[in-house]
Amino acid sequence: MDTKKVWFITGASKGFGLEFIKQLLAKGDAVAATSRNLQQLKDAANTNNANFLPLEVNLIDEQSVANAITETIAKFGRIDYVVNNAGYGIAGSLEELSDKEARQNFDVNVFGSLNVIRQVMPHLRKQQSGHIFNFSSVAGITGGFPGFGIYCATKFAVVGFTETLATEGKPFGIKATIVLPGYFRTNFLESDSLATSAKQMDEYKEVRDILTIHQDQINGNQQGDPVKGVAEVIKVASIENAPLYLFLGSDALKMAQDKNTALHNEVEAWKAVSKATDF
Amino acid sequence: MESQTKQKVWFVTGASKGLGLELVQQLIALNQKVAATSRSTSALVDAVGSQSKNFLPLEVNLASDQSVKQAIAKAHEAFGSIDVTINNAGYGIGGSFEELTDKEIRDSFDINVFGTINVIRHALPYMREQKSGHIMNVSSIAGSAATTGWAAYAATKFAVTGLTEVLNEDVREFGIKATVVIPGAFRTSFLANESINIAKEPIAEYTAVREAHNKLLLMNGKQVGNPKKAAKLMIETGLGTNPPVHLYLGSDAYKRALEKVETLKAELEDSMDTAFSTDFNNN
Repeated sequence: MDTKKVWFITGASKGFGLEFIKQLLAKGDAVAATSRNLQQLKDAANTNNANFLPLEVNLIDEQSVANAITETIAKFGRIDYVVNNAGYGIAGSLEELSDKEARQNFDVNVFGSLNVIRQVMPHLRKQQSGHIFNFSSVAGITGGFPGFGIYCATKFAVVGFTETLATEGKPFGIKATIVLPGYFRTNFLESDSLATSAKQMDEYKEVRDILTIHQDQINGNQQGDPVKGVAEVIKVASIENAPLYLFLGSDALKMAQDKNTALHNEVEAWKAVSKATDF
Repeated sequence: MESQTKQKVWFVTGASKGLGLELVQQLIALNQKVAATSRSTSALVDAVGSQSKNFLPLEVNLASDQSVKQAIAKAHEAFGSIDVTINNAGYGIGGSFEELTDKEIRDSFDINVFGTINVIRHALPYMREQKSGHIMNVSSIAGSAATTGWAAYAATKFAVTGLTEVLNEDVREFGIKATVVIPGAFRTSFLANESINIAKEPIAEYTAVREAHNKLLLMNGKQVGNPKKAAKLMIETGLGTNPPVHLYLGSDAYKRALEKVETLKAELEDSMDTAFSTDFNNN
């Protein structure tokens, strides 16, 4: 039988994060879980399990992150798996979204994860083991999401740095996986989760239409089952040769394939032009 | 014929050296109107060395939304339109996740990402009014395929690639185009110390990261890419009518792009069963 593993999961008061808590505790693993609001997290998890450590963390504050990791190690002795799950979507064209709105999205989706990685790496290197799962999205592979420019930028960034993390961690026995879900039936598209630009311009007709479709038609009808999605990540955690890219959802796979095929065609079509700039 | 080229108004960031400087010099020679930005106007004016009325040097802090807004307004006032913006400013940042501080990483995002977004935010009102325009964002092959020791840099450049793809969709209805320019290694000052920031506090154990940095820095002066040709091609693209969304520059960029496409293709095939298994209904 497996020995008990220790997980550190961010953004755990709802959605995928909360589902991780449920499945991992049921499996007998230890879970340190973070949220901006401790009470909300405790209420949502609703458990007295001794393997559960709820933590109030502001991911943008590196010291807060450092404290959380220290507490986790003090309680469970080690950290085997890190799941950078916290993040939110923000809708609006680049013209509508303010500098502040854009930066806030990067704060959580990018800089928060980087804070966690920076603080956890010394421990994982010391153990010579560990596996970091960074939640991106299929929106981190394809920009085919009109009205979600900033969100895509943050998720592309996660893909980029996680590709590096995989090679950088290897000499220390540390693995990295990019989790790339399509649409899953979580609260992601609910108004209390999905942010929208304060400025909304009628001129951006197609952006407005796309957002309406997300809120009215896609929300609640997503194909992805979060229970199965989380189970798949947990399964991958126990695989010796875990993939770097973990696509979840048939929609994610198809969209990524379409993007990759289109890019392939474009790269080939412009081959002569690309090569003409060498000395 | 080239000589009958239409005169356009260009807004080029990071123009005091490297590819930016090359662009500005060629544009002036082609009788194009160029507003060019740098952190220091004097460095920019000295570098460009032109008295042309078609050249407007601007001192801009790209990380400041207001500074960018004012610069674009000045360019529009001087030249009457904003036809092509080239978001070229940026610098490399090297170091492992553990070595680079939150501040070092945010500083690089300020220029490489938020500066670019600031320019886009403030150029678009003019372009929408014109019902035309072309936004070119300079990413890097590191924004398509990442490498050891350059995580933060890759993150900034992946972000630029992603936001440009979406931008292209968002502004199509206004007749505006977007292109992400993805250069390989070009023989500019990029790999000289002035354009690369390496983590101030290295950790001895990251030997592979040190090796990766040394390997890249040793390439300085031997890069296969010719910046004059790159600038020429970008200008042709800005003057042309059917630009690609992704413009890879250099045989090295082409090769790595292709490798990445093939890697991802294989990963996607391997992922098929897993990805489909998480739907509510398998169909």
